[in-house]
Amino acid sequence: MIQLKKVYKYYNSGSKKAYVLSDISLDISAGEFVSIMGPSGSGKSTLLHILGLLEESNDGEYLFLGENVSHLTEKKKTELHRNQIGFVFQAYHLIDELTVYENIETPLLYKGLNSSERKSRVAELLDKFNIVGRKDLFPSQLSGGQQQLVGIARAIAGNPKVIFADEPTGNLHSDQAIEIMQLFKKLNEQEKVTIVQVTHSEHNATYGNRIIRLKDGLVVQ
Amino acid sequence: MIKNYFKIAWRNLSKNKGYTAINILGLASGLAVCLLISLYIVDELSFDRYNLNADRIYRVDADVKFGGNEQKLAVASDPMGATLKKDYPQVEEFTRIYTSSGSKMIKKGNELINEERVANADSTFFDVFTLPALTGNTKTALNEPNTVVITESSAKKYFGNVDVLGKTVEADKILYKITAVIKDIPKNSHFNFDFIFSMKNVDYQFGNFLSMNFQTYILLKEGTDYKVFEKNFKQVIDKYILPQAKQFMNIKSMDDFRNSGNKLEFSLMPLTAIHLHSDRFPELSANGNIQYVYIFGAVAFFILLIACINFINLSTARSAGRAKEVGIRKVLGTERKNLIAQFLAESILMVTISLIIGVAGAYFALPLFNNIAAKSIDISNILSKQILPFFIIVPFIVGLVAGSYPAFYLSRFNPVTVLKGKMNAGFKKDNLRSGLVVFQFFTSIILIIATVIIYKQLNYIQTANLGFNKDQVLIINGANALANKDEAFKNEVLNLPGVTSGTMSAYLPVVSSRSDNSYSKDAVMDPQNALSMQTWIADYDYMQTMEMQIKLGRNFSKDFGEDSSALIINETAAKVLGYDNPIGKKIYTNYQDQNSTRLISYTIIGVVKDFHFESLRQNIYPLGFRLGHSNGLISFKVSTADVKSLIKKIETKWKSIAPEMAFSYRFMNESFNNIYQAEQRVAKVAITFSILTILIACLGLFGLVTYMAEQRTKEIGIRKVLGATSVNMVTLLSKDFLILVSIAAIIAFPVAWWAMYKWLQDFAYRISISWWVFVMAALVALLIALLTVSFQAIKAAIANPIKSLKAE
Repeated sequence: MIQLKKVYKYYNSGSKKAYVLSDISLDISAGEFVSIMGPSGSGKSTLLHILGLLEESNDGEYLFLGENVSHLTEKKKTELHRNQIGFVFQAYHLIDELTVYENIETPLLYKGLNSSERKSRVAELLDKFNIVGRKDLFPSQLSGGQQQLVGIARAIAGNPKVIFADEPTGNLHSDQAIEIMQLFKKLNEQEKVTIVQVTHSEHNATYGNRIIRLKDGLVVQ
Repeated sequence: MIKNYFKIAWRNLSKNKGYTAINILGLASGLAVCLLISLYIVDELSFDRYNLNADRIYRVDADVKFGGNEQKLAVASDPMGATLKKDYPQVEEFTRIYTSSGSKMIKKGNELINEERVANADSTFFDVFTLPALTGNTKTALNEPNTVVITESSAKKYFGNVDVLGKTVEADKILYKITAVIKDIPKNSHFNFDFIFSMKNVDYQFGNFLSMNFQTYILLKEGTDYKVFEKNFKQVIDKYILPQAKQFMNIKSMDDFRNSGNKLEFSLMPLTAIHLHSDRFPELSANGNIQYVYIFGAVAFFILLIACINFINLSTARSAGRAKEVGIRKVLGTERKNLIAQFLAESILMVTISLIIGVAGAYFALPLFNNIAAKSIDISNILSKQILPFFIIVPFIVGLVAGSYPAFYLSRFNPVTVLKGKMNAGFKKDNLRSGLVVFQFFTSIILIIATVIIYKQLNYIQTANLGFNKDQVLIINGANALANKDEAFKNEVLNLPGVTSGTMSAYLPVVSSRSDNSYSKDAVMDPQNALSMQTWIADYDYMQTMEMQIKLGRNFSKDFGEDSSALIINETAAKVLGYDNPIGKKIYTNYQDQNSTRLISYTIIGVVKDFHFESLRQNIYPLGFRLGHSNGLISFKVSTADVKSLIKKIETKWKSIAPEMAFSYRFMNESFNNIYQAEQRVAKVAITFSILTILIACLGLFGLVTYMAEQRTKEIGIRKVLGATSVNMVTLLSKDFLILVSIAAIIAFPVAWWAMYKWLQDFAYRISISWWVFVMAALVALLIALLTVSFQAIKAAIANPIKSLKAE
C-alpha cells in the first residue's frame, strides 16, 4: 500500500546539505500497524510527514496505493487528505472554536456529505467512542485523553485507508495512553485500518505488529 | 457549508471580544462618517434638480469690468430676458427675479413682520420652475399687478390655513391679492421665497441695458447646446447695449471699450450648477462650493480606507493565532478556496455588524451633523435610492477588500510549519502592515496640520485689523419702517446709558446694502479715465461709530455747509485715481439718473483708511462715502456689560415710536462671522473628522500592539528572566511604531504644505504657514501613538514572566 524507494530529505545549511533522511526504502501493506521509533532528531517525524503528504522528499519515489505521489498538485493532495488519510497529533490539534460534534463533522463537510449523512456518521462515532454526552463541549472543557479520543474520531470519520499518528500519547498519562493504544489496536484489527505511528515508548510499540527503527536518518532495523 | 462558515465566524468573533470590539468599532465609526458625508454630498448635488426642466434652465450671468473694478454678476439687465426670447427661437421661455431691498414689512393682524424671503417675479416664473400649486392657477397668477403667490407655510403662518385664495396681503403698505398657494419651495433650491409678488409692482426704470439688477433665467428648447448659444451674446451687445452706452460714454465700438481695459461679457450658468459652482454677486442664497464637496468626499474615502486598513492590520496580526486552525483544516482536506471563503465570511459578517452599528451611529449623530454642516438632512434620506446601494454593496466591497488579504495570507500557510509551532516569526517583518500604519498616520498628520491651519486662518480673519471695529456694535434692522421718526428714535437711544454713539446708514461693512457707480476724473465719462466705485451714504457719526480712521483731510462736519457734494474716499480709490493728495480734487458721476448724460461733481474732502467691507477672500476695492440720509439700518456702539437689558430698553423705545413694527436687531460681529459660515462649517467638520480619523487610527494601533505584545510574550518573558527592566521592554515594543510614525510625518509634511497653500490662495488676506504647525502635528501624532503603544507595552512588560514561559 505504501512504498518508499530510496527517499532522501535534506536541508541546506550553508554550503552543505544536512540530511534528515537518507536512503529510506520501506513497504507497508494494507492492514499493518507499524510503529516508527528512534531517538530525538532521528527523522521519524519528518518521515511521518512525508508519508502523510505534508512534506515532500528531495529525492526518491513514493508510491501510495500504487500511485506515484512524490510530486502532487495541491489539489490532488487535498483529495487524498480528504478520502484516504487521517491524522492524529500529539497536541490533538482540535479546532478550539468548534464543539466536539463539529470537530468530528469538519472532515465530512470537506468530503461534501449531505447533512443527514454527516449526522448519522458523527452519531455513530460518538456512540462508538462513548462521548455522546460530551458532544456539545468545546476542546478546552475536555481532558487530554478525551481530546485525543475526539482527535481519533475525527481522523477516522472520513473512513480513511490509513491513519498517521504522531506520538498520539505523548501528552497523556499512562491510563489514558493505554486506552488510546487499545483503541488503535481495535481499529486496526476490527476495521482493518492501516496505522502508522511515531512513538518513543517501547510499550506502545508492542501494540503494533512491526517496528521500523531510525537512527540519524537511516533505517537501522 | 455557508452556514458553517458563518457559525465559525460568529464563534471566532465572540471568542475574541476585545479584538472584535476594536475592529467593529473602528469600522462602524468609519462607515458612520462615510454615510453622513454621503448624505451631505447627495444633498449638495441635488440642488435645483426638483425642476422638471432642470437641465434646460440657465441663468444669464454678466462679467463686467469697468474703471478698474471687475464684477462677476449673477444678474442681467431687465430687457435681457425678453430680448433673448424675441430674437432667438431657441429660447422657449424666460423669467426674472427681482429682490430690491431684500425684505418687506408684511402685516399680520396689527403686527408688522419683516419678511426676508420675498421676491418679485415675472408671470412666467412658474412656467420655468416646477413649483406645484395647492390652490389657484400659477400660470396666470402673477399676470396682474398687486398679485402675490404665497407658500403653504406662510399661508398657515398668516391665515392659519391654506384656503386663502382671493384674500389680501399687505406688504410695505401695498395690498396684494393672493392668486395661488404653492407647496413650500424645496430646501435644496438656490432660492427660497415665501412670497412671490408680481413683477408689475416693481418700481424701476425699465429698458436700461446697462444696469444689471435682475436674476434672469431662460429655458432653452430641447437639444440646444448652451455653449453654442452663448455666442449670440456678442450680437446682443452690438445691437442693443452699445447704442445705449454711446449715449453717455465716450466710446465708439466695443473694441474701443475693451481696448481701454474694460470688459462686458455674458454667459449662461446651468441651473443645476448654481449651487456648487456659482460664486457671483448677488446670489439668492449662500451657495455651497464644489471644492468642499471634493474635500468631504476625500475625507470620507480616507476615513473608510483607514478603517479598512485597521481591519486588515488586525486580521493579519492575529494570523498567528489562527494559523493552527488553518493547518488542521488543511490536513483534514480543506481546499484553499474553502479557507478563503471562510475568512471572507468572517470579514463580511464583521462588516455587516459594523454597518448596522454605523447606521445606528449615523442616525443618532445626524442632528449633530446637521448642526455642524448647517444642513437639514432628514434621516429618511438614508433610504433614498442614492444611499440604499451603500447598504448592499459596501459590506461586500469592504468585506472583500478588508478580508481578502488575511484570507489569502492565512490560507497560504504550510500546515507542517504551523503544526510544528514555527509560526511565531510572522509578525515583525511585514512590510505591508508597516506600510499601512505609515499610511494611517500620514493621513492623520495631514488632517491635524490642515485643521490647525484652517483654524488659524479663521481666527486671523476674526481678529484681523479690519479697518473698523465690529465689536459691541448693535444693528437695528428695518429702521426705514420708522419713517420720519428715525432721527427721534436714534436720539432717544443715544440718551440711554451704555450707548456711546450711533449712525444711520444702510451701508455697513457686513451684509447690507451696496451701490456701485461709475465715476470719472473729468467732466466727460470716458472709459479711459472711468472708475467704478462703491458709493455709500453715511451721516456725520458714521466714522466715529465704526471706529474708522481718517488718514487725510477730514470727516463730514456740520461746520462746513457744502458737505452735500463732499466725498470721502478710501485709500484704494485714491490709489486708483492716481492722486498723491486727492483732497480738494473733483470727481464726476452720473449716478443720480441712470438715463441722463448729465454729470454732477463731488469734491474729495477726506481719505479713510482702507477697511474690509467684503469677505477677506477679496481684495479691497475703491469706495466713497457721501453725506446723506439712509435709514435702512441704525447702528449703535454700546459699552455695557448688560447688553440684554439695554436691548430691552431700546425695544421699549422702538415700541413707543412704532408699536405696530416688529423690532429686529443683530450684532455686527455675528453678522461679520456669517460671511465666513462656509469656512467655519468646513473648519468644524475638518476638526471633527480629524479627531475621528486619529481615534480610528489609534484604535487600530492599539489592537496591533496588543497582538504584538501577545505574540512576543515568550520573548518578553525570557528577556525579563535575563534581567531586562520594564522600561527596556516598553522601549523595545514602542520603537518600531515610533519609527513608522516618524516616516509618516516626513511624507505628510510636503503634501500638507501644498494642500494648505492651495486653500489659502482663496483668501486675499491670509496667514503664512508656519513651521511649528508641522512640528506640533508630528509631535501630537507621536505622542498619541506612544500613549497607545505604551499602555499595552507596559501591561506586557510588567506581567509575570513565569506565566508566559509555562504556557509554551
